[in-house]
Amino acid sequence: MSVLLKLTNVAVYADKTCLLEPMSLTLHQGEPLTILGQTGSGKSLLAQAIMGLLPENLTVSGDVEVFGRTMTIDERKALWGRDLVMLPQEPWNSLDPLMKGVDQVQEVYKFVREKTDEESLSLAENDLQHVGLEDNGHKRPGELSGGMAQRLAIAAATAGGAHVILADEPTKGLDVSRRDGIVSLLQTRSALGSLLTITHDVAVARQLGGLLLVMKEGRLVEQGEASQVLDYPKDDYTRELITAEPSAWTDIAPSVRKDSAENILVADKVSVKRGGRTLFDDLSFSIKKGEVVGVVGDSGCGKSSLGDALLNFLPVASGSITRFDKTAKPYQWLKLYQDPPSAFSASVTLGKLLDDLINLHGIDRARIAPLMDRLSLPKVILERNCLGVSGGELQRFAILRALLLDPVFLFADEPTSRLDPITAKEVTALLVELASEAGCAVLLVSHDPALVQKTCHQVITL
Amino acid sequence: MKVMLFKRLLQLITVIWGVGTLTFILMRSLPGDMAYRIAASRYGQDNVDSQAAALVREELKLDQSALTAYWHWLTDLMQLKLGDSLVSGLPVIDTVQHMLGHSLLLAFAGLIVSVLIAVPLGLLSAWRGNPLDSILMGLSSVIRSMPVFVIGVLFILLFALNWNLFPVAGFGSPAHLVLPAITLALSLAAVSNRVVRDSAKKTFQSAFYQFSQVKGLSLWQTFRRHGARNIALPVVAFFGIQLVSMIEGIVMIESLFSWPGIGHGLAHAIFARDIPVIQGSALMMGILFVLLNTLVDIICLWIDPRGVKNQ
Amino acid sequence: MKMRSSQWLGLGILLSLLAFSVLGVSFSPYSMSEQNLNAIMEAPSAVHWLGTDQYGRSMLTRMAHAVGLSFALSLMCMLTSSIVGTAFGVWAAWGGKKVDSVLGVVVNILLALPGLVVVLLFAAIVPGSFLMLYLAISLVQWVEYFRVVRAITQGVIQSPARQSSAMMGFGRWYQFKRHIWPAISPSVFTLAAFGGASAILTMASLGFVYVGIQPPLAELGLMTVELFPYYSDAPWLLAQPLVVIALMVFAFHLLAGKRA
Repeated sequence: MSVLLKLTNVAVYADKTCLLEPMSLTLHQGEPLTILGQTGSGKSLLAQAIMGLLPENLTVSGDVEVFGRTMTIDERKALWGRDLVMLPQEPWNSLDPLMKGVDQVQEVYKFVREKTDEESLSLAENDLQHVGLEDNGHKRPGELSGGMAQRLAIAAATAGGAHVILADEPTKGLDVSRRDGIVSLLQTRSALGSLLTITHDVAVARQLGGLLLVMKEGRLVEQGEASQVLDYPKDDYTRELITAEPSAWTDIAPSVRKDSAENILVADKVSVKRGGRTLFDDLSFSIKKGEVVGVVGDSGCGKSSLGDALLNFLPVASGSITRFDKTAKPYQWLKLYQDPPSAFSASVTLGKLLDDLINLHGIDRARIAPLMDRLSLPKVILERNCLGVSGGELQRFAILRALLLDPVFLFADEPTSRLDPITAKEVTALLVELASEAGCAVLLVSHDPALVQKTCHQVITL
Repeated sequence: MKVMLFKRLLQLITVIWGVGTLTFILMRSLPGDMAYRIAASRYGQDNVDSQAAALVREELKLDQSALTAYWHWLTDLMQLKLGDSLVSGLPVIDTVQHMLGHSLLLAFAGLIVSVLIAVPLGLLSAWRGNPLDSILMGLSSVIRSMPVFVIGVLFILLFALNWNLFPVAGFGSPAHLVLPAITLALSLAAVSNRVVRDSAKKTFQSAFYQFSQVKGLSLWQTFRRHGARNIALPVVAFFGIQLVSMIEGIVMIESLFSWPGIGHGLAHAIFARDIPVIQGSALMMGILFVLLNTLVDIICLWIDPRGVKNQ
Repeated sequence: MKMRSSQWLGLGILLSLLAFSVLGVSFSPYSMSEQNLNAIMEAPSAVHWLGTDQYGRSMLTRMAHAVGLSFALSLMCMLTSSIVGTAFGVWAAWGGKKVDSVLGVVVNILLALPGLVVVLLFAAIVPGSFLMLYLAISLVQWVEYFRVVRAITQGVIQSPARQSSAMMGFGRWYQFKRHIWPAISPSVFTLAAFGGASAILTMASLGFVYVGIQPPLAELGLMTVELFPYYSDAPWLLAQPLVVIALMVFAFHLLAGKRA
């Protein structure tokens, strides 16, 4: 097994602050290497340091050896495309928005491999066929889905002939079903060389196999064979990461729901259209008081639209939605948003927002402290605005605000998809637990079937 | 494409109606006996008699009720019957056509020079960064604070009166074009160089620009394939916005340099209260505005076939 | 709102000019149109701090009046157009499709012609009228506020934050106060500063082509043309209106902070 890439004590600094602690690793031919860690753990910096793509204000120390030779940044840059390539994190932003997909692959053959125009075009078309984009070559990136854009990016990145592939969060934002396809495509493409992947997704790490490095806050906490590390983690942090995966959750669906509970909402043969397209059709279900109902499906299938329709934000194209609880006020049908900061006004402190709500509805202030304790929200967050607290805290604050209104129905639209897995697990558990105690029904939308499976009484698949 | 052209057509109609209505109000609001006033301005204060006034009254249909007169006014306008100048007696359409040619010459000369200044400087700002960037941006701030006529006056003082390099004002030789065109170009470039710079900076820092190099393309190949178009798009779109200042600049520059274009004609006609010429020149200016807007739209559509943004 | 040091500088320049104008108008012993043909085109001296013009009028008095006039116009236009534009902008975004399309038509009519041409035509109706200038410039300027405010407000209305407040039972005034105003106020402020500059420019431009404020009133653009013939005999005279116009515009641009 020849050594393709070897790092010796590579560290990244911003001025004097160390963002990535000294780290050594070796990438061998035919043995993929995966770096696992949450966002902010410095793993993207590592890939950028290898490529020589760090922003100017960051400095790097240590040696990077490629193909057995220590190389300067400029020497490494000369390898781009031909020998060494990095897959972008956000394929949509990494493809030229004005250029047809096929041209973005073709130009690599033309300029890097120095083929003629016709040769490059046929090679590019061949590549697109391999990644299943043969009918989409004439489209521009804006017209492609996230998965398609990522496949196009992979085709474009590897057209230059590089076999050492660095992939920075290649599955970010993709549905589970798309994720597996991208991972196996990466495996094929790197068959002649090797693959260094950076991910926060335990499932991706498991699928890739090979060597696994777990990172936390710029520090290496554990490394070893992927299956070994994932099945028998030694470090607490690794263990936490693994158990935070929804598929590893214990069943947290609350048991308090009684089958005899009354219906609060019945949907009968509902169909919803958006932009002239029918999202779903002929959908019937009922939601009982205090029940947790999960909605799953790939992105774009209308999960969020269903929730919005139940809250009367969207008209239904046909069918009917009946609310049974006649005593509930309109403000007791509420929604939790996907992106917590966007759901709050940043112009005043969270405390002020809470006061506004208390004054409007005459809520008993005594309820706040115990509820904040339950949600483990520190008092100080009330003095900050929504941009000054973490996403997890903010989502818990949103739950607090909703619960103060004694809701009967709460539509949670992917409430944890922007949170890291460990926080996501905590928030989901709290939401389900507290809502059930309050007798509030929850419609939980998620792109992760495992999450819904573990938390809900009833699952609607779109 | 069709939607865009339809919108521009609508704008054209609005321009004709707006100019017609405003000049109609203008005519009706002249104080005193309109016919006498207009006749006086045409034939001189001493030569006005009731016969001359009657002629004018007849010509401008001043004896009709406001509504009928308005209707006539608009229908004449729709057929581009612009009448004769009250001052020179020449047909307005000829005068205006003549002026339009001069204005177009100035506009395109100014535009080309401004592109020649703004694009290289903007790219250089984005490429080299500080300190060059700060110097160029500071310079453009200073020029931007000066009204176009102040720039023009300074140029006249320096290049025409102090160093005698170019004629002060007038028209006839290519040398006459130099100062007005540069004045216009500088005032446009002081704004557009920032747009070029911002757009270039954004493109240079974009993920797709980096990815193109990671794919193995050289810097120059990346610039040609992915830089130029992406930088040009906001710049051209911005030019649509800058058209307004360009037309306004033309009015001022033509007046300052006595350049016989539409802007000069309009200012003069307003000063002389020569209503048919006011109408004719305002109309031409409006049409010029619409045509250039349409041109910008078409170019944007050509660069970015995904559809014109910001519309 | 926190201001950067360059914004403070802009504000400082504007306030100094305003003070100059107020003090000059109130305490100058000369009136704006008082001629003294024995003392024409004098250089600045203890008697005439800024010299005298071609009719022997005190330049200090005239500049003070001209600056005051520019300020008065720009502040009036700024207030009128920002209030009208913001109100209509929010209304168009929030008042339903009908309101939006009606206002859209009005705005498209105003945008069909370049602003200066509209102002010129209005100015032609009542020559030399300050009121007409004010109306015409405000009419042209509110559109800019309208477009920006409408676009931002539309975004805010779609935002989860606003939607969530509405869902929790908060009324429209609350939603405006907490969500819309904080989103639009920085842009309104920036536009107002640019609008102030452009009102001054427009008035000077009209004066410069002789269709704005009429003599013997003092107006910066008008003074530029009047003094232009004497550039070689008395360059300090021509310099005054030119420098002051540029300074006022520059100060407003600094105050705006960011670019439009």
